[in-house]
Amino acid sequence: MPMDILPILASLRRHKVTAILLILEIALTCAIVCNAVFLIGLRLDRIHTPSGVADNELIMVRMSNIGGRSDVRARTLEDLAALRGIPGVRSAAILAQTPFGYSGTTSSIKLSSDQKLPTISYVSTYFGEGVVNAFGLELVQGRDFSADEYHWLQDLNLGLPGSSPRSVIVTEAVAKRLFPDGNALGKDVYIYDEPSRVIGIVRHLVTSQEWVPGQEDYSMILPMRVSPDAGMGGTYVMRTSPDQRDRVLDAAVAKLKGLDPRRVLTQKSTLEKQRATFFSADRATAGWLIATCAALLVVTALGIVGLGSFWVAQRRRQIGVRRALGARRVDILRYFQTENFLLATFGIVLGMGMAYGISLFLVLQYELPRLPAHYLPMGAVLLWLLGQGAVLSPALRAASVPPVVATRG
Amino acid sequence: MLTMNHLAKVYRTEVVETYALRDFNIDVKEGEFVAVTGPSGSGKTTFLTIAGLLETFTGGEYHLDGMEVSKLDDNARSRIRNEKIGFIFQAFNLIPDLNVFDNVEVPLRYRGMKAAERKQRIMDALERVGLASRAKHYPAELSGGQQQRVAIARALAGSPRLLLADEPTGNLDTQMARGVMELLEEIHREGATIVMVTHDPELAARAQRNVHVIDGQVVDLTEEPRFHSQTSHA
Amino acid sequence: MFAYYLELAWRSLRRNKSLTALMIFAVALGIGACMTTLTVVHVLSGDPLPGRGDRVYRVLLDAEPMDSYRKDGNPLDQVTWVDGMNLLRDGKADRQALMTGGNVAVTPPDASLDPFYIGARYSTSDIFSLFGIHFIYGGAWTAKDDASRARVAVITRRLNDKVFGGANSVGRNLRVSDADLRVIGVIDDWDPQPHFHDLDMNTYGDSERLYLPLGTSRDLGLGHSGSTNCYGNGRSSEKELETQSCTWLQYWVELDTAAKRDAYHEYLVNYSRAQHDHGRFERPPNVRLFDVMSWLDYKRVVPGDVKIQAWLAIGFLIVCLVNTVGLMLAKFLRRSGEVGVRRALGATRGEILTQLLTEAGMIGLAGGIGGLVLAILGLWLVRMQPHEYAKLAHLDFTMFLATFALAIASTVVAGLLPALRACRVAPALQLKTQ
Ligand SMILES: Nc1ncnc2c1ncn2[C@@H]1O[C@H](COP(=O)(O)OP(=O)(O)O)[C@@H](O)[C@H]1O
Ligand SMILES: [Mg+2]
Repeated sequence: MPMDILPILASLRRHKVTAILLILEIALTCAIVCNAVFLIGLRLDRIHTPSGVADNELIMVRMSNIGGRSDVRARTLEDLAALRGIPGVRSAAILAQTPFGYSGTTSSIKLSSDQKLPTISYVSTYFGEGVVNAFGLELVQGRDFSADEYHWLQDLNLGLPGSSPRSVIVTEAVAKRLFPDGNALGKDVYIYDEPSRVIGIVRHLVTSQEWVPGQEDYSMILPMRVSPDAGMGGTYVMRTSPDQRDRVLDAAVAKLKGLDPRRVLTQKSTLEKQRATFFSADRATAGWLIATCAALLVVTALGIVGLGSFWVAQRRRQIGVRRALGARRVDILRYFQTENFLLATFGIVLGMGMAYGISLFLVLQYELPRLPAHYLPMGAVLLWLLGQGAVLSPALRAASVPPVVATRG
Repeated sequence: MLTMNHLAKVYRTEVVETYALRDFNIDVKEGEFVAVTGPSGSGKTTFLTIAGLLETFTGGEYHLDGMEVSKLDDNARSRIRNEKIGFIFQAFNLIPDLNVFDNVEVPLRYRGMKAAERKQRIMDALERVGLASRAKHYPAELSGGQQQRVAIARALAGSPRLLLADEPTGNLDTQMARGVMELLEEIHREGATIVMVTHDPELAARAQRNVHVIDGQVVDLTEEPRFHSQTSHA
Repeated sequence: MFAYYLELAWRSLRRNKSLTALMIFAVALGIGACMTTLTVVHVLSGDPLPGRGDRVYRVLLDAEPMDSYRKDGNPLDQVTWVDGMNLLRDGKADRQALMTGGNVAVTPPDASLDPFYIGARYSTSDIFSLFGIHFIYGGAWTAKDDASRARVAVITRRLNDKVFGGANSVGRNLRVSDADLRVIGVIDDWDPQPHFHDLDMNTYGDSERLYLPLGTSRDLGLGHSGSTNCYGNGRSSEKELETQSCTWLQYWVELDTAAKRDAYHEYLVNYSRAQHDHGRFERPPNVRLFDVMSWLDYKRVVPGDVKIQAWLAIGFLIVCLVNTVGLMLAKFLRRSGEVGVRRALGATRGEILTQLLTEAGMIGLAGGIGGLVLAILGLWLVRMQPHEYAKLAHLDFTMFLATFALAIASTVVAGLLPALRACRVAPALQLKTQ
């Protein structure tokens, strides 16, 4: 620091109210921006949640029958065979749940039959034959279900004997939560109070509906066959190459309608679109937060420019006197830059306290995670830079005040 | 110490050019005490601002302490102002945000002096003008005479070799004016060169030499004054 | 005199154009952001049942087993078929309805129209009087129709327009899934915002178009949608929901006085105790009665995001105001010379204050108008979003006035401190040092 700070402080003391207001503005901006940037980060993390599925290859068609049907199971198999015949379709399956949907099924998992509270209360449960293939999941341990392990979901719901699942595939997150110190593969867990063996573990599989933060991967797959008229109904999920999705979607709908016109198309979408819709609120919130932060920084910067210009105008004469007494241009420039640095520093120190307070409020009121400490130095640097950037133009104007002003105000 | 040859200063505004100085010649020797007199608007302040390197000039030559001034850049001019020249203004020009001590300190700050030495010099300077006890006062809390004495202390603190004063007593009553004049004479006796603009014939008479300025030119008072049109349309 | 102040303010504002623009810009931006988000909060937290909301209550019972019991826990949001039917049979409230929602296929009589799916509400007969739903044609079904599971339906104006061309369709048949239902009433479109009666359907936006007796929906095997929460050995098979330990129905009652409300609460506690004695309930009585607004509050219907956005906007406005205070203070203090002269010429401190506040007020007015324009723009942007509540984001008259009040109040408050400080200048003092 070429300029000693004490005389600057002394001079600021004579403009206490204005200085305090500027400090307050910087503090509030610092506090708000720190928290907002953190919230934006949370949103962006959420938007980029890995699904574990082939996001840009999946397409979905859902049909609803009008009235009851007797031969649904046979017709469903017929539908699937027809869909697999469409050129470009790599796989087709009928599943009860899809990722990023608004509905789903959750079940609890216990480690023994006499356990009172479940080890995990809500695990998103996927039903359908061939989920692993249909979604393109990465199986990190164990194997996929074999054909003889599958039962009809409707039979399970009706409580038919022998229809309970005996095996289960879980995500790494669930495996880790159930057996923190050991390998889950091959262990028995209790779902619907019946034992099921963990036969496979997949890397990721996002839940089929909204999740509690940190539990986006709490999913499992049960070997249950679904048909359109049971429970949650069924969605035809097909895998194709990204550029063929629209064509295959149209072809699939035409094919299904052709096989049985007495049904209503209730969903026709790509998974990518479903994902985008699911996160639209997050995207909107992040957008709003970013826009408000930007506006906040602009207003604060303009405030510094405005106030700086005022101070320069007000002190024109004294700048002239300083120049007359031997101050170089750069000395005047440094004076204003140092002054701004000091004000920003006070503001930042105050702002950090406020940032903590705001964070506490959000934690208590909206159950958000606490602001991590490393956001504070980031906010500090941001505001220092903002202050220096904003004060530059008034400071340069001050530096160009000619010394002769001392003699002629 | 200070030599100007055929110096000219033109102020250009949108419609008119004002010749504040034209063919201005002066030579001030080291250790002289010169009083500059002349009617209002004749160019006295302009002369002083150019002499003090506060402003550049339009034509002619100016040598200060053997240096050709027009060749100096802004930083060098600042340096010279800071080390060689002391200013005293009619309007005192103390910085209202700073107290007496801090005001006197300003030029020393720009000289990059150590704190202890600064303090020593400031207190010495304040002692000389008799205001050591007012070091913590703000300008607004002082009388006009006291403010001007602070300004003189500020000019003295840097031990300048050239002291430029623009009507230093213009805002003061006779009593106070005499006090200021006595101070300047004392400084002069210690070896400083002083150029003082004044309206007061009594004070002018106390200087070693009088220079009279009319219409931007130094005139010999024994001669008939020559008139020039002051402005010409551009 | 005031005209003189206005003139002075106008001149002063014009003298510093970029500064004036900056202050107005900041105030407008702050107010625009605030009003956009506050309007969204205001719209989303509106009373969906004006005039009746404080008499209509949601009923919660705690029928879950002991093994997952936590003291101070909340009961499930819905009730089982058995409990719903028991409460209905007792009929202790002024009005009561047991209901759930579903999606049904409608085949229009006009064969040229394709079948389509719409949202339907399955309920017992009191729903219309309980929620104060207005009939255009015909009327509601009766408790007898509930008991006999009559094949009847009430449709909304919009569905009536679509299927029957808006004619009085009472008495005509409508094919719903596999069955023919007789239309017995047409109601005005009823889309309470939010859908307080069943938040599992969609919280905001369009509501159901078709209403039919709950028993009829069970007879026809029409699937219900929304959440089904099973505990113990409960299985969520649609066909056996009546007998399973699954909650999937909403129970609403009307209680006209506070005394009745207390009595009903007492009744629910006694009911729980009796069920406990029967062995159906395992937990100590834990019942809730929420009127409509407290129900929405309890369910935290207004998205947290929307509230955080509003808080952020408020913070932003505060920064904008601090900014304006600072600039205005600098501006006013720079005029101390002028103030000193005016004071020397006989202006009272009050007169100076009024003059400066007039100037601040003008900034506020301009900022308010700018803020209003920005709020309208902001709400238009909100409506572009794919939220289910997007369509609702309109500035109503209350918020319109609130915008202006906020603008003027905040700027006058922001102007007050600078004005008070600036008018403290002593007369003529400034003349001396000039
Ligand atoms: N910045 C300027 N622009 C234009 N004209 C100026 C400026 N400064 C001084 N002058 C003119 O130059 C002339 C000399 O002024 P000055 O040196 O201040 O006179 P004095 O100090 O002798 O009263 C005057 O006519 C004045 O109007
Ligand atoms: Mg002069």
